[in-house]
Amino acid sequence: MKVTLISIPVRDQEKALKFYTEILGFIKKKDLPLEGGNRWLTLVSAEWQDGPELLLEPAPNHFEPCKVFQDALMEAGFPYTQFDVDNVDTEYERLSKLGVDFSVKPTEMGTVKVAVFNDTCGNNIQLVEEL
Amino acid sequence: MTFYEKELYRIRSIVYSNEGQINTAIGIRNYIENHYDVNLNLDLLSHIQFVSKYHLLRVFKKYYGLTPRQYLIDKRIEKSKEHLTNGMLVTETCFAVGFESLGSFSTLFKTKTGKSPTEFQKEQLSRSKIDSES
Repeated sequence: MKVTLISIPVRDQEKALKFYTEILGFIKKKDLPLEGGNRWLTLVSAEWQDGPELLLEPAPNHFEPCKVFQDALMEAGFPYTQFDVDNVDTEYERLSKLGVDFSVKPTEMGTVKVAVFNDTCGNNIQLVEEL
Repeated sequence: MTFYEKELYRIRSIVYSNEGQINTAIGIRNYIENHYDVNLNLDLLSHIQFVSKYHLLRVFKKYYGLTPRQYLIDKRIEKSKEHLTNGMLVTETCFAVGFESLGSFSTLFKTKTGKSPTEFQKEQLSRSKIDSES
């Protein structure tokens, strides 16, 4: 068995695609049509293109418990998942300038530094740098 | 402040209150990051950090979740992938990332990535050829 895919619930796939590629810098890998206008839409990191794929999944629109869970995480500020970066401060500066909203500014937690931002698609995402 | 941020601070005050230990752990990690290509061992690391081998091992594992040896191996494999992708010979790569025997390098590489260094390199090189043609 292999881990190759991480799913992120999003409310609007097209909006998510724009945010994750244009702002965060991911690259679109797979985009195929499913029923009802939904797509199997995956991304990869620009600097690790053979790494795991990120699936932008419209689950909250079709399965109420997913929406409830996502809303609860958002309200409490919990990250849905986290991405590794080389430097949290640099990414914080870069993304803030692009208008990204951070609920946790760069904060040291022992041997890591973290920050949390709103992905505008229903999730908080944590950035993490190993110190 | 969100509930999550409050939790971060609460947990930090419990788990990460020992600054001395954290600095030791970070110091060891940085040393491995910068010297993975030479013969590293616990004696050397403990000498550099002025702590006993057993303390060093315990502290590193406590804050990074794996032993310095495991961390070093992962670092070397990650670097060797870069070298192989850039076309460096397998033997050269093996020594460039600090392994002392080709046998142990190949075995570890296969265990960690699922492919031998040669197979990995062939795949990477053919992939970059396809990319440049398309």
